[in-house]
Parts: sequence; structure tokens; C-alpha cells
Amino acid sequence: LDSKALPRPLDGDVEPNSYAEMYPMNCNSRYLRLTTSAIPSSQSLVSRWHLPLGAVVCPLAEPPDGEEVAIVNFTQNGIIRCRRCRTYVNPYVTFTDGGRKWRCNICALLNDVPGDYFAHLDASGRRIDLNERPELSKGSVEFIAPAEYMVRPPMPPLYFFLIDVSLSAVRSGMLEVMAQTIKSCLDRLPGFPRTQIGFITFDSTIHFYNMKSSLTQPQMMVVSDLDDIFVPLPDDLLVNLSESRSVVDAFLESLPSMFQDNVNVESAFGPALKAAFMVMSRLGGKLLIFQNTLPSLGVGRLRLRGDDLRVYGTDKEHALRIPEDPFYKQMAADCTKCQIAVNVYAFSDKYTDIASLGTLSKYTGGQVYYYPSFHSAIHQEKLRHELARDLTRETAWEAVMRIRCGKGVRFTSYHGNFMLRSTDLLALPAVDCDKAYAMQMGLEETLLTTQTVYFQVALLYTSSSGERRIRVHTAAAPVVADLGEMYRQADTGAITSLFCRLAIEKTLSYKLEEARNSIQQRIVKGLREYRNLYAVQHRLGGRMIYPESLKFLPLYGLALCKSIPLRGGYADAQLDERCAAGYTMMTLPVKSLLKLLYPNLVRVDEYLVKVSSQADEFKISRLPLTVESLDSRGLYIFDDGFRFVIWFGRMLSPDIAMNLLGEDFATDFSRVNLCERDTEMSRKLMRILKKSREEDPAYYQLCHLVRHSEQPREGFFLLTNLVEDQVGGMNG
Amino acid sequence: MSEMAQTDPEGIDGVRMTWNVWPRTKVESSKCVIPIAASISPIRSHPDMPTLPYAPLRCKTCSAVLNPFCRVDFAALIWICPFCFQRNHFPHHYSAISETNVPAELYPQYTSIEYSLSDPSSSPINPPVFLFLLDTCVIEEELGFAKSALKQAIGLLPDNALVGFISFGTQVQVHELGFSDMSKVYVFRGSKELSKDQVLDQLGLGLAGRRTGPGFQKGGQSGFLANSGVTRFLLPASECEYTLDSLLDELGTDQWPVAPGNRALRCTGAALSIAGGLLGACSAGTAARIIALVGGPCTEGPGTIVSKDLSDPVRSHKDLDKDAAPYFKKAVQFYEELAKQLVSQGHVLDLFASALDQVGVAEMKIAIERTGGLVVLAESFGHSVFKDSFKRVFEDGEQSIGLSFNGTLEINCSKDIKIQGIIGPCTSLEKKGPAVANTVIGQGNTTSWKMCGLDKSTCLTVFFDISSSEKPDPSGNLNPMLYIQILTSYQVPDGQTRLRVTTISRRWIDSAASSEELVQGFDQEAAAVVMARLTSHKMEIEEGFDATRWLDRNLIRLCSKFGDYRKDDPTSFTLNPCFSLFPQFMFNLRRSQFVQVFNNSPDETAYFRMLLNRENITNAAVMIQPSLISYSFNSLPAPALLDVASISADRILLLDSYFSIVIFHGMTIAQWRNMGYQNQSEHKAFAQLLQAPHDDAQMIIRDRFPVPRLVICDQHGSQARFLLAKLNPSATYSNAHEMAAGTEMIFTDDVSLQVFFEHLQRLAVQSS
Ligand SMILES: [Zn+2]
Ligand SMILES: [Zn+2]
Repeated sequence: LDSKALPRPLDGDVEPNSYAEMYPMNCNSRYLRLTTSAIPSSQSLVSRWHLPLGAVVCPLAEPPDGEEVAIVNFTQNGIIRCRRCRTYVNPYVTFTDGGRKWRCNICALLNDVPGDYFAHLDASGRRIDLNERPELSKGSVEFIAPAEYMVRPPMPPLYFFLIDVSLSAVRSGMLEVMAQTIKSCLDRLPGFPRTQIGFITFDSTIHFYNMKSSLTQPQMMVVSDLDDIFVPLPDDLLVNLSESRSVVDAFLESLPSMFQDNVNVESAFGPALKAAFMVMSRLGGKLLIFQNTLPSLGVGRLRLRGDDLRVYGTDKEHALRIPEDPFYKQMAADCTKCQIAVNVYAFSDKYTDIASLGTLSKYTGGQVYYYPSFHSAIHQEKLRHELARDLTRETAWEAVMRIRCGKGVRFTSYHGNFMLRSTDLLALPAVDCDKAYAMQMGLEETLLTTQTVYFQVALLYTSSSGERRIRVHTAAAPVVADLGEMYRQADTGAITSLFCRLAIEKTLSYKLEEARNSIQQRIVKGLREYRNLYAVQHRLGGRMIYPESLKFLPLYGLALCKSIPLRGGYADAQLDERCAAGYTMMTLPVKSLLKLLYPNLVRVDEYLVKVSSQADEFKISRLPLTVESLDSRGLYIFDDGFRFVIWFGRMLSPDIAMNLLGEDFATDFSRVNLCERDTEMSRKLMRILKKSREEDPAYYQLCHLVRHSEQPREGFFLLTNLVEDQVGGMNG
Repeated sequence: MSEMAQTDPEGIDGVRMTWNVWPRTKVESSKCVIPIAASISPIRSHPDMPTLPYAPLRCKTCSAVLNPFCRVDFAALIWICPFCFQRNHFPHHYSAISETNVPAELYPQYTSIEYSLSDPSSSPINPPVFLFLLDTCVIEEELGFAKSALKQAIGLLPDNALVGFISFGTQVQVHELGFSDMSKVYVFRGSKELSKDQVLDQLGLGLAGRRTGPGFQKGGQSGFLANSGVTRFLLPASECEYTLDSLLDELGTDQWPVAPGNRALRCTGAALSIAGGLLGACSAGTAARIIALVGGPCTEGPGTIVSKDLSDPVRSHKDLDKDAAPYFKKAVQFYEELAKQLVSQGHVLDLFASALDQVGVAEMKIAIERTGGLVVLAESFGHSVFKDSFKRVFEDGEQSIGLSFNGTLEINCSKDIKIQGIIGPCTSLEKKGPAVANTVIGQGNTTSWKMCGLDKSTCLTVFFDISSSEKPDPSGNLNPMLYIQILTSYQVPDGQTRLRVTTISRRWIDSAASSEELVQGFDQEAAAVVMARLTSHKMEIEEGFDATRWLDRNLIRLCSKFGDYRKDDPTSFTLNPCFSLFPQFMFNLRRSQFVQVFNNSPDETAYFRMLLNRENITNAAVMIQPSLISYSFNSLPAPALLDVASISADRILLLDSYFSIVIFHGMTIAQWRNMGYQNQSEHKAFAQLLQAPHDDAQMIIRDRFPVPRLVICDQHGSQARFLLAKLNPSATYSNAHEMAAGTEMIFTDDVSLQVFFEHLQRLAVQSS
């Protein structure tokens, strides 16, 4: 494949819209995307499709203003659902018998309409109250769930912090930034006044904190019996935030100074985790782990697993990427059972076995944040932002999700961070707008006889306000017998997303190389199949042809192979970095993933020097990710959604550099912090960066300044990531 | 109150012996019936005793200390040891002595003398450590009382005393008082038994902990504790008083839920063993005491005495007798181990138990007694028995009980005298020597004992044996005198080390020859107390021991030997005045709480026995045979017969039974008082009569530790039982018909003193 010849996705993710025209009542594609919106009618079509057949679901995706999901309250009489398949009433059900019966669009059963839900039908057979019934007119609705949807009273939002206070955690400044950030977010935690909060710190011992509201200051309770960990108080380790606010404030205030002289280098992480679990297990909630040191004491202690060059390319290679100790998976399973979602914040400058730690997030619907070699002077803004978002974004608690589909089609596998409870129920102790889940489907029967297949995603959860709710997304897709139509209706974003998850999973049992090969082969096969369909017709001989819908797939496929979890071999990425990126990419919604795979590269120097008129907005014009795009007289921003790299061309006017960096323009860029200066140029640049950050607030792009030809910095930050170039992502 | 102000029977030496003239042979001594024993008060204060600022001279052979009984050759500057007859040269700095310039230790009146051993300028003085333990499994009100008592105590401590604090309930919380950022505790499971090393490791005081360190050492404190890190937990009283005050203010009752029908989970044993472990981090020789305030039984972990199920009662004497107390032996074993650890560290366990039910004093007894700890048993932390006693412990000046630490007792004796052992608050150091007897009573097999804690009133009973079996050769030039030297080194609260040397001398006697001399040397009060101690001891260690029978047999033997009578003629029986009080003591001992244990709980029995063993003879005698004083118009207060006949409507009685003091108003007095006569100026005499016993009671209370319970009652009132229980039942329902109408009657099956005497006379004169 010659990447230079490929079309480039310079406009980013293009959501498929053929769907919307065909089925206007479908839920928005931000919630549900099929890899192709033409469902194959036969097994033989499926086998010639070669690409993944499935969906990517982001049940709580943030809608733009004005498009919020409607809330429907059926509380008095129960939610209308199909008697047989439990499908929720939706725009695709049909009413018959003068409005007294409704037919389920998924299983075709004729259900009775309950008396109080009855409405007459108009001449065309539609209910006359259709416009007042969002559940009958909108693809996405949210039902308030009555008591039968609860196994216990809705839990309060609960945030529990498990904090490493060993020497390195203190020295890195992590502790201080973390404490300040949590403190600054206390007013914005969802769920006031029910929100609960608690803390455990640990080094070689476990420190609980009694936060009883009547205390003037918290009480630290140390438990050192690592082999037999226990809870030192029956209550008050987990407290109502609003009642104990002053104690919590006092705690966060003194946390950094309290440990400033700590010289303990040990980490009793496993016992501390068990301790946190004991405190949280009754209610569940979010467990935020701040980990700086490789767990060294007690259960779950990890060893320095040599990221050994010689292991790469052998059958043992994958073992580095999975947890060695079953403790982590067991703890994750226990947490999920108790509705605990685990987010891991890892900061070490040394190996910390993210593969093992991340397991906790993977099976609990959580997330891994990785700040290698964290240093507060450099990374504090990133941690501040991401932690604040984690704490303040709307969160759905103690959730389960199921996706239903019409007869003949069946979901076969699920990919993302969750624990599968029964065959098709995803247990999600916590869900938010930044999490997406992917699933593959297959045909159950050899031939589909229906015209249309319906999909319904239902997420049952507890809102921060304490309501039990069910968010339901419904969509329809046509059944086709034409392979070409399948290709034409393909969604590159969804396909890439599924490919990404499949490949990362594959690295857990195979060599990196095999994971990459399988993607490449499937893309090649798919495109060959398509060419075979049309080669004769178009007389195009050996040239590569692809449907418009898939034109970016080869490049995304290439980028995927060069992404951190999959790229190269031993030397191309640190093991922890690989694993962390893998865990992150398993949760990303389509748009963020595509941006990460094919980042934005834009030139800004011309805009900066232009005399500004107020209304003059910067117009993004993306450049191909190749070194040829870089003009040595220019200033470029590289943005993959997780970081900015700002490239200063060798011949860039010194005036610009001075304007942006002041005195710092000549110093070592690794020590320079880009900040707003009192110049028009600086303000303009900062505005651009700010706008980019606001576009996708899930992660914070830290700025890395890079000078043209300054190695290895330029190579590390930029050149490796120019995916179109030979060198990009392929050192090894 | 001339009756109260007795002359000091113990003198400067603080020693009382059952026999002050000793039979020369084993056979003769066994005929004396009452064992040869000495009750010694090793550090009792005496106004006439000098303290010498230098070290004592010791015999180079037997290491006895120079004393007034040594023969001195002033010209040759030589002294002869009265124990081993070694000739010792005086060292150079004694060269100035002469017959007219005698050092104090040779003054004949200074048979007891004290040496101050530590030179304050050379070594830093280790301040004493007070580690307080507070039970939080109590009701709010009790906790409040205990907390204010603690606050007061800490305020009374010397500024440099080191203070630590542990609270416990279901779990143990060791408070790190030196942590300045917030209140910090180390928490331990109550159900788990930890070794000392485990405790130290978990507190970050172990070797591993010191290396990687919790790292909070704020430096500072130099001296003996600095390296161990234990200064995180033990702070000078002056530095932590504020911290402790606010800590106590916020300390609540144990938060763990208690299921209905259950006892609270209370881990007293674990808490004490952790306290012991923590003190283990102090360097050897540190004066330290664990002061435990316990409000209920241990139901969790080591030292458990009862299950948590409330329907299981705490063991009774009956259960112990039938071996139906499933927790008892294990708990005792646990405390025995704890005692060993504390003794090896030289630390003391004090127990302040306040509860309506038992808390396990019986099980803890061994650890308290072996370490020389204090014990107080009260009904509530709000009761004066606890409150005032607790305060006394820490009081300074004249009221001070003179808490001292790290005591070691050594006894030297003349040839032919062997030591069987000691009953009392101490532990044998297993130091073998020629003076060790083959038979053991109490802490034996040694001539040296450890007393981790001791005070001015501490008393021990030493049992002696005579080894020579044959009559001395009359031609032999035998010394008619025997010598015993008691050496007590101890640390006073300000950290200085003292050595008390008491050398006593008694006369040997060939008892067969001069029985009169032997009789004159009998101390019946001391003998009664020694018999009480020995009886209690035997009841504890000998299975199926019949105390009443044993006492009766010995009394009859004694009366047979020393009484004057014609064989088989009870009416002819008379006793020498030197023995005449003894039978009544035995009568009262048989009826006392020490022998009739089934009327009390095992905790009370253990408590009574510990105090019996550590009090001086006078006080111990009162425990056996209370004193009764009668107050009436027109006569001075006078001792009254301990008999129900002493009750009269127009009298006030003051009963002192040591543990309680009862003021008992006759019916008429009570009526007048209720009518308020004492407030009328014309009845001033009545007011004075009412007040007098109160003043006397206060005088007794002031000098006593633990503070006795004061009961004020009226004839026929419900509290009157406190008096009636102690009185001789001369009028019981079995002989009620003989009594004049209106006299007080005691409902009991006990035999009266008169009946007892009659039996005794009959049996004593029987030809065997
Ligand atoms: Zn259905
Ligand atoms: Zn000698």
C-alpha cells in the first residue's frame, strides 16, 4: 500500500447520514453507529464482507444544546414494553385494532395497549397523540424507572479516593495537585446533597480517615496488618460530603503537607485496594486510585517484569500485556458485583505494571489515566483538567446495558471496559459520556426474511439525582441482498473502532505483529472483494478501488497499526505506555479515536502574523501527516486530542518565537512552559489551543514545544506520529 | 482519736514477723504451727531514716551491705560481715572513721538506711512513662467520668513524664500523640494475638519500620528513646496535654454495633498486649506503667473471659470449682505470658476496673501482681472509690503514694535460714543460692525478686525455713543472733535510683528449753495476716483445699501447744495473752471474704486477695477483722465489740472493714437527725456527735489506697447490711428465744464466736 496515494481524512470523522434519511426516527449516530447500515440478508453475504459487522454504542454521548434526550415518566402505570422480548415502546412499534393493540417491531408480538396509554388512531393509522409522546417519535428517550427496576434504593453518587503517599508520590507533586483539584471540585460533584466521599492513603501501611461530621478535623487511622486487612470503623470512613464538608476540606488542606517528609518507598497497594473495597462495598460508587509506585507489599504485589527485548516476537510476548496475578481480575470482579467503578491514575517514572492495574478499570467500566514521570511543574494542568472532568461530568451509577435486535440477528461479542453479566448484559458500575462500547453481530439464520432490522440499546442506571432511569436508543436498518450496498453503506469510523478494539484484544493473546496483520488482511480482503465486484464493470484492472464510504479505511488501518498499543516492537513504545493507551482506546468514542489515529496538523504562523481584525477567526485547514507538510519557515500545531505538539520551523521568523516565548525562545524546549504572554500573537495562539481543547474536553492536550531538527525531541513527539511517513511508528 | 493513732509497730525497718524469737531447728520450728514469716514493707517511708549520697560498701564474699551489726576494727579499718564472717577492708575514703566518727550506716539506730545511687550529673535521668488505656465499650456517661479522670491525672503528672494513650473497644487504637497534622491512631484487630515484634513492626517501630520508616520523626528529643521512634507515641506531659485533652473531647464510645442480646465486643487482652509491645520499644530500665481503665469483660480475642452472648453469665466461683469456666484457663495463661513480658521489660500493669459485673480481675490478677501493679475495683468511673483513688495515684507531696519503678529485692540471711518464697506483688528472678529452701511458697527458688512497680505501702510476706535439723552443740561457739538483710533497689518518680538496706537481727532460741521466750515473741496480728495470706494462696493453687478445716486444725494444734489446760478438761483451758486474740482472728478469717469466697465473684475475691497481700499488717488485719468504734453522748468514742450486741438505738457506729467504711446511726439518732435537731443551737452536742464519725472516716479514707467505699446508713435501713454482715452473730434466729426483745438479730447459719470458742476449747484439750 502506498499511503501517499490514499485519500486523507482531513475533515476528520464524517458521520454517515444515509441512515438518517432512510429512517428519520432513528437515534442520533452519536449514540449508535453500525459498521454498515445495510444488514446482509444471508450468511454468504456476511462471509464476503470481511470487515467487522457490528455496532459502536455511546449511550450517554453529550448532545449539543437543544438536542437533549427527552425524559418520559410512566411511573404510575409502568413502562410499556413487549410482553415477550421486553423491548421498550419506540417509534417503530405499530398500533392496530383501533389503538387497542401494538405490534412489537423486534419480535412482532401483538401486545395489549393498557387503558391509560390508549389513544385513538388517525386515518393513516398513527396515534393522534403522537406529537406529545417522545417515546413514539424520538429514537432516544429516557424513562423514569418505577420501583420494580430497583433491587435496592438508588445509591448516592459516591467518590472514594485511594491515594499513594509514598516518597515518589510526594516528590512528584502529584499529591498536592490532586488534593487541590479534588478540593476545587467539591462544589461541583454531582448529586448534592446526597454525594458521599471517602479517602484512604497508603504507603507500607493503610491509612483510613474518620470524617465524622462532628469532628473538627479528620482522624487518621493506620492499619498495618497487611495480611489481614480490616476496617477500623463501622461508619464515618465514607461520609456525606455536605455534612462533613469542613472535615473533608481540612483533610485535603493538610494532605500534601502531612506527608511532605514521608520517606517510605513501599506500596501496600493490594491491601489498600481491599481496604477501599471493604469500605465501599455496601454502596458502590467510583474508586479513584492514585498510584505512583509499583505495588510492593502484601497481596497483589507485583514484580518488575522485564520488558525484555528478547521476548518480543516470541509466543510469550503477549504475557507482558496481561496481568500476572489473578488478584487484579478477582478484585475487579468483586468491585463490579458491588457497583464499584475503578479509575486508575498512574504517575510513575518507572515500570508500574499498568497491564495489571488497568485490569481493575477494564472490568469495572472504569478508565486508566497515565502520566508517565509525572512532575507537577509540567503535568499539573493536564491532571487538574482530567481529574476535574472525571469528578464533575455527569455520571450514571450502578448501570446495566443491553442491546436488543430483531429476529435472525444476534450480538456475539462485546468489546470495551465492562464485565459481562449473563450472555448479553453489560455490567457498568459507572458510565459517562466519554465511554463507548462496541459489539459484533452475526446472522442466526441463513436468510433474513424481514425488510428491516431494529436495534434497541437500553441503559438502566441511577442518576446522580437519585432517580432510577432507563435510557433507550432505537434504530432501524434495512436488510439488503446486495454486497455492494453493504460496502456503500459502510461506516469507516465504526469499522475502525471495532478493528481497534479487536486488535488490542488480540495483543493480549498474540504477538503485536499478528494483531497488525489481521487488520491489514481484513482490509485488503474487503477491498479486494469490492474490487472483484466492480473490476469488470469499471475495467480498472490492477488499480485499487473502494467505495466512497471506505475511502479513508486504508489510512486509518495503517494509523491503527502505528498506534501506541500496536506499533512496532520493543523499542517503539514503553510497555506501560502501550498498555495504558490500549486501555484508553478500548473506551474511546468513534470521533476521539479517529482524531487520535489521524491527528490534526495545522500551520498557524501565517494567521498569527496577519494583522487581526476582531472577527477574523482562525480557519482550520488540516495537512497530511507527512514530513513534507512541514515548511521550515512555519509554525505548526499537531493535535491528537491528548496532546499538542507545537513545531517551530528552523527558518521561522524569530519575531514569532519571541512573541510567543519571550526570553524562553532560546532555552531548552523541554523546560519551557507555553503560557499566554502580553502579545497579540501569543493571545491568538492560546485562543486556538483553547478552542481545540474545548472541542473535546474529555482529555487535556498538554503542550510540547519542538524545534525543527532538534533530536531526539522532534522525533519522539512529532516525526514518529506522522503516520504517513515510513518512519512513523516503526522504529523497530 | 487516741485509738486510731497507734504507735508504729513496724518501726524504721517496716518489718513484722510471726515469731520474733526463732527456734533453732526444723523440728522445733514445725512445732510452732504458725510458719516463720516476715511481712516487709521494702520502701515504707520513715521520718528518721537518712539517705546517703554515696554507694554502699559490700562484703566481698556474700555482697551483704555494711550495717550496724557488723563488727568493726577501727584501728585496722576492717569490718566483719555478720552473714559470712568475711573480713573486709574499708576503702580509702573511709580512712577517717573512728569510734567517735562513725559513718551513718553503722549507727545502731539506722538498721534501715537508704543510699542514693545515681549521680544526676553523669547520666540523663529517664523520665517515667505512663501509658493510659481506656475502654470505650461503655455507656456515654461512664466514658465521660473516665475521660475527666484521665484529664485530671495528666494535669497532675510531672511535666517531663512521658504519656501515651491507647483506646480500645472492638479494636485497639494506639494514638500517635506526636503526629501534629491531625489526630492519628494505629488500629489493631481485637481478635488477634500479636507478638511483641509484630506490634512493633505494625507501629513502625520494628527493625524494618525503623529502616524504611513511616518517616514522621520530627527529630528533636535526644536521649534514651530517640532512636526507637517510640517518641511518636510517648510525649512529655507538658507537650501533649493539650493534644490529649482535645483528643479525649472528641473520643466517643465504641462505634461497632452490638447485636441485641449480646455483649459489646471488648478486646482488653489485645489492648494490653499491644500496650506491652509498645513499651517494648523503650530501652531497658525505662520506668513505665500501663494504666488500664476497664469497664467490662473481655469478649474478643486473647484474654476473653466470657462469650458475647448475654445469656452466658460471667464465670462464678461455682463454675471455677466445677471446671465449668471454658475461658478461664486460657485467659490466665495469656495473662501469665503478658506478665512474663512485662516483668522482663520491667514494666507495670495497673488496673482500674469499674463495672457492675465482672471485668476479669481474676484472670488479670497474675499480670497485676507479678508486676506490682495497682488495682482498684469500683462500680462506676463516677464513684469516689475510683475517682479519688485514681487521683491519689498521681498526687504529689504528702498525699503521694510514692509510685516507684524497677524495684529489685534481695535477701541475705544467716546460715541455717532458708527462704521458701514470697507472697505478694513481685516475681521471682530465679536467682539460686545457699539460702534457697527446697520447698516453695509463692514466688520462690530465688533470693532475688523483681518488683516492676512498688510504692510506700507495698508489702511482701517472706516465708522462712530453718535448715538445721539437730540441736546445736552446746559447746560450739554459736552466735545467739540471726541476721536478715533486705536490699531493695528502686527508681523514684524523678528517675533517681535508691537502694534501701534493712538489716534485722533476731534471737535464736532453743524453744524446748525456753518456751516462754518464744511465746513472748509471737506477733498474733502478724500471724493472723500471714495465715490469711497463706490460706488464700493455698486456695488458689491447691485443688480441693479445705480452708476452714485447715485453719481449724492449725488453730487447735496451736492452742494444744501453747494453751494451759488439763487434758480433756475444756473448762481448764486458758491462753497466754500473747495468743489470746488469735482465735478470734481465726474466727473472723473463717467468715471473711478470703475464705467464704462463694459470697463474692471471682473478680472480687481476686481483688481482695491482691490487697490482702500488698497491704501492711495493720490494714490487712482490718480486712480480716474489721474495727468497730462506738459514738454516744457522755462518753468518748470507744472501740466496740464486733458483735451485733454493740448496736444500740442511741449510738453511732463506725465500722472499718478496709474496703468499706460504714457509719451506722442507731434508730433514735436517725430520728433526731431526720428531725433536724443538729441544726438547732441548743443541740450543739448532737451536731458534734453526728459529725465525729464522719471526721474520723475521712481521716481513714485520706490515708488509704484504694479509697474505701463510704456507706452511711441507719438502723433498719437497707444499707445496714454492710454493717451486719461483719458482726458476730451472737443473736441469730437459732437462739432468738434467748434474746431480749428489741435487740438486733442477724439471720445467718454462721456459728457465733462463743460457740466457736467452746468447740475450740474442747478440741484443744483432747488427748490425741
Ligand atoms: Zn417483542
Ligand atoms: Zn559476707
